[in-house]
Amino acid sequence: MIHEVTHPAILVLIAAGLMGVLPRRIGHVLGVLGTGAAVVIAWTVPAGSYLDVTLFGTFDAVLYSVDDFSRLMGLIFGFIGAVAVVYSYASEAEGTQTAFALAYVGTSLGAVYAGDWLTLIFFWELMAVASTLLVWHYGGVAVRAGFRYAVLHGIGGSLLLAAIAWHFAEVGSVAFDAHPGIVSGVPAALAAVGIGVNVGFVGLHAWLPDTYPRPHIAASVFLCVYTTKTGVYGMFRAFPNGHLWIAYMGGAMAVFGAFAALLQSDMRRLLSYHIQSQVGYMIAGVGLGGATIGYGGSQYYYDALATAGAFGHIFNHILYKALLFMTVGVIIYRTGKESLDDLGGLGVHMPITAITFGIAALSIAGFPGFNGFVSKGMIIGAANKKELEALWYLLLLGGVGTFLSFIKLGYFAFIEGSYGGMVRDANRGQSVALVSVAGLCVLFGLVPDLLFELLPFQGQYEYTTYTIPHIGEGLALFAIGLVGFAILRGPLHHIGLVPDVDYAYNRVFFYGGRVLVVAATELYAAIDRAGIRLVRSAYWTGRNPAAATQAAAGWLPGGIRPEIGTDPDSESTGHPTRNEPSRLFLRAGIGTTILILSLVLTLLLLFAV
Amino acid sequence: MSEPIPAVLIVLPIVAATVPLAAGLVRDRVGWAIATLVLTAEAALATVLAYRIYVDGERVVHVLGGSEFGRQEVEFGGVTSEFIVGIELVGDALSGLVVLLIAFVSLGVLAFTRQGGPRSNAFYSGYLLLAGGLMGVPLTGDLFNMFVFLEIVGLTTYALVASSDRPEAAVAALKYLVIGTTGASLYLIGVGYLFVRTGTLNMVDVSRSLAGEPGWIAGSMYGDPLVAAGFGFVVVGLATKAAIYPLHTWQPDAYAEAPDGVTVYISALVSTVGAYALARVTWFVFTPEFFVVNTLVIEAVLVLAGGSVLAGSVLAASQRRVKRMFAYSSVAQFGLIVLAIGVAVHPAASEQATRFAVYGTVIHLLGHAVIKGGLFATVGSIAEGTDARMVREYAGLARQRPFLSGAFAVLGFALVGVPPTIGFVGKWYIGLSAVESRLWPVVAVVVISTVLSLLYMARLLENLYFDTSTVTTDAPGSQSTDVAADGGGANGAEVDADMTPRKAAVGTRPPYGMIGLALVAAIAVVGLGFVGADLTTALDPVVEAVIESSPEVTP
Repeated sequence: MIHEVTHPAILVLIAAGLMGVLPRRIGHVLGVLGTGAAVVIAWTVPAGSYLDVTLFGTFDAVLYSVDDFSRLMGLIFGFIGAVAVVYSYASEAEGTQTAFALAYVGTSLGAVYAGDWLTLIFFWELMAVASTLLVWHYGGVAVRAGFRYAVLHGIGGSLLLAAIAWHFAEVGSVAFDAHPGIVSGVPAALAAVGIGVNVGFVGLHAWLPDTYPRPHIAASVFLCVYTTKTGVYGMFRAFPNGHLWIAYMGGAMAVFGAFAALLQSDMRRLLSYHIQSQVGYMIAGVGLGGATIGYGGSQYYYDALATAGAFGHIFNHILYKALLFMTVGVIIYRTGKESLDDLGGLGVHMPITAITFGIAALSIAGFPGFNGFVSKGMIIGAANKKELEALWYLLLLGGVGTFLSFIKLGYFAFIEGSYGGMVRDANRGQSVALVSVAGLCVLFGLVPDLLFELLPFQGQYEYTTYTIPHIGEGLALFAIGLVGFAILRGPLHHIGLVPDVDYAYNRVFFYGGRVLVVAATELYAAIDRAGIRLVRSAYWTGRNPAAATQAAAGWLPGGIRPEIGTDPDSESTGHPTRNEPSRLFLRAGIGTTILILSLVLTLLLLFAV
Repeated sequence: MSEPIPAVLIVLPIVAATVPLAAGLVRDRVGWAIATLVLTAEAALATVLAYRIYVDGERVVHVLGGSEFGRQEVEFGGVTSEFIVGIELVGDALSGLVVLLIAFVSLGVLAFTRQGGPRSNAFYSGYLLLAGGLMGVPLTGDLFNMFVFLEIVGLTTYALVASSDRPEAAVAALKYLVIGTTGASLYLIGVGYLFVRTGTLNMVDVSRSLAGEPGWIAGSMYGDPLVAAGFGFVVVGLATKAAIYPLHTWQPDAYAEAPDGVTVYISALVSTVGAYALARVTWFVFTPEFFVVNTLVIEAVLVLAGGSVLAGSVLAASQRRVKRMFAYSSVAQFGLIVLAIGVAVHPAASEQATRFAVYGTVIHLLGHAVIKGGLFATVGSIAEGTDARMVREYAGLARQRPFLSGAFAVLGFALVGVPPTIGFVGKWYIGLSAVESRLWPVVAVVVISTVLSLLYMARLLENLYFDTSTVTTDAPGSQSTDVAADGGGANGAEVDADMTPRKAAVGTRPPYGMIGLALVAAIAVVGLGFVGADLTTALDPVVEAVIESSPEVTP
């Protein structure tokens, strides 16, 4: 069958290439077709691996491999890609920008369909390049942020690459099925930190709020989906049997992200922190996905629940987070304002935006009846059943923070105050994108079985979405959020820009780099100066033996100092020449080198003999 | 079994070097045509040689001097052994690739110098002489003969560097002359020590004698201080030729001051044959067994090379002139290559590690030659008409030079080591070999070098494509109004075109030959990345020989 050998990423990348040269309208149509085809393929292609190749003569790579996990990723990546292309078209994005975005989508698809580590890292790096270009394309303040983004992801990618090399050295194969996850020990630690950059571990997350608010509104929609979710997918491949530390890191991210978001007034910055928070839930799910984690050593039941929950949350999160960035994008598109301080009372003017935002906000916060409730419940449930109390409380606390910050965002943007002047609602294309995604959020929330059919580990766990305690939990979090907001409303309204860890490490990096470069240059200059001085004084000694002897004699103690008559000639060619600009400068340069050369030779001979 | 091809490959350009000068008496500007003719023939011959080596699986040997020379039975003290009389030229699995590289790069660079480079007949005489010298280094099978070819390469390079009409070029050439000659002399002293001990200069025979194979030698000579000292001299001499920090001081001056066409040529090939010579001598004359006895010295070489990687990268990042930046980047890249040469023979290296190190050395050697030559060709073409030579002068040039900038970006990514380019394949194997042999400091150096090279390449590309000079003029607030007005992008472009006064009229476009070379190099680095598998198959005989400590690469 032809569709079994057609890699979805190829279709999307071809669409990206054509988009770069064709007129804007045709290009966007092709973009929707390409990403749509990726959805169809993901839906229909049977499991198995299709493109086995030998890379560089040594590595058995699987370029295209389909299983339950990659199918789910391919499905949602393709679908949201199509929606985002429609949204880009409606939001007047340039063709070139969408072409970069589609290249980003295509490389992400390549990463999730990889059947081995080498193919994964290959697309992983290209994904970083494509997303950097997408950010850079907007110009202005996005350029510096894009540079920081590129450097950080370069470091992360290199760490992952080192982990993979080590893994290969231990296992002898790069294929996923050769060994469950990355070899434990140092490689696992390197992989965790390397992937941790992509998923926004606390401390490594600062690129998220730094980069995502800056580019074009449509670019943000693409960005909020692919990098972090591919990261979660990679984390699962690296740790298919979970890890307790990773689970707790997930809990920490959930709480940190949610409360850092609460302090923001730039809308897209607020949403970016929520990516970290939500990805925290997924990471917690991945971390819990092992039989040895927490209570229930022999019971596969809860492990399957945690992993399925993580992937369900990826799926749901992509829907509502893209929807949130699209609604906020509409606000920016119509008003030109990025900050909540300048907005208010928009609900009356923009009903479609307000309603779809409401659906997205209830979804992300996990309100019963919406899709976030389903998958978040699975992860929290697994933490509870495995009796990891601390993690369970962390995840619940994150839920409170999420309610709080979305009540804040919704309240200040749509309800409080009134907006002077006319503001139109989302245009037709934007509305299509908003309503279709919002519909899915509600659909998957009300009929969770539809979601369960897509998830891995079907039938290996039991989970009932709507039970009284679970609904009660959701409503209780909402109630706490409401009460908390009522209390905190005043202080939250006008809060300045809160510095994050990047404030510190941008400076460390910048000045550290400066110090390194200057130190290296200065050190070399110092060696050079010393060498020149040595050679110069040697020359001077050669030409003025008498004066040199006299000068040397001056250092001797008085008792044995020889008597030397003053010679007027040597006086004139004596010390002053040291201060004159040297005529030997050129020869000294070469001389220094020869000196170094002989030093290196001497050292090497010392080792050799 | 004396094959003519290796001898013709060397002699043809050297003899032909006299033609442009002689023809110059009659007509001006015939040098280019003659060089093209000769080097096309060279490329064809090199292809035939490579076909014989890699497809037919031969070791192509030419013995200079006729039938009374060659391998002869020697009897000494009642033991007979085969020894060489005279000089051998050898084309094997290691030299074949380098010969191909030299032939095609020499031909390709002519496309650049047609209109971009020096055009005098004397220049093309030098160029052909250099091509002949370069060919000799990989093909010779004799240690002293290698010194001769290294000196031919050196002397002609000094002349070509000085062929610019700027006084700085003369100074740079002089510096190069003194330092290069010193390096060559050290190499010669090392070879002399080996000769004193073994009584032969042929690489295979020296290696066999060091191993103690001939019956009249009692056991191996690896522990002999004179032999070890010989290795020290040879390494330092060749490291100077390959421009390893801190022996690199001639190289940035030479690259930066030479005419653009010359820089393209010497950056691609001159240090490359130096590194090749180091690999040949380390792997096949001294062989891994030597380093089992003398482990410290190979570790000293690794330290030297690692330092070169780090210092070269840092110095590159601190440059403001583009040509100097890439010159220092070469210091770092050759550090990587020497690291791989050393890892291949390090006692800690497993067979697998040695295999990867050999792959890494040769692939990165070839890859770097194409990448760096291509980058200098791009830099030279960009300077044509725009006169941009400093990093900051590159601001926003992408709009005026779209194809060149594209080539620049691809080559730059290859230099950093982004897949699927050849740069990635080489670095990947080098890194992998270090991991396999558990030399963690080397692994760290490889990883750090990637990040550092990203730093300076990103700075250049950012300047080229995303004119950062507008950032300071834009108030941060004005960005958001842009979004509301038109969704950003198009309007912003107009604004910065007005706001940044730039050399408005871009003079003449660079000629097609110059742009063509840059584009071909960019396509080649991606294409070569995909033929990595075939390259490694071609290198398997080399790997086998290194693993077995055999002095001969037999197919």
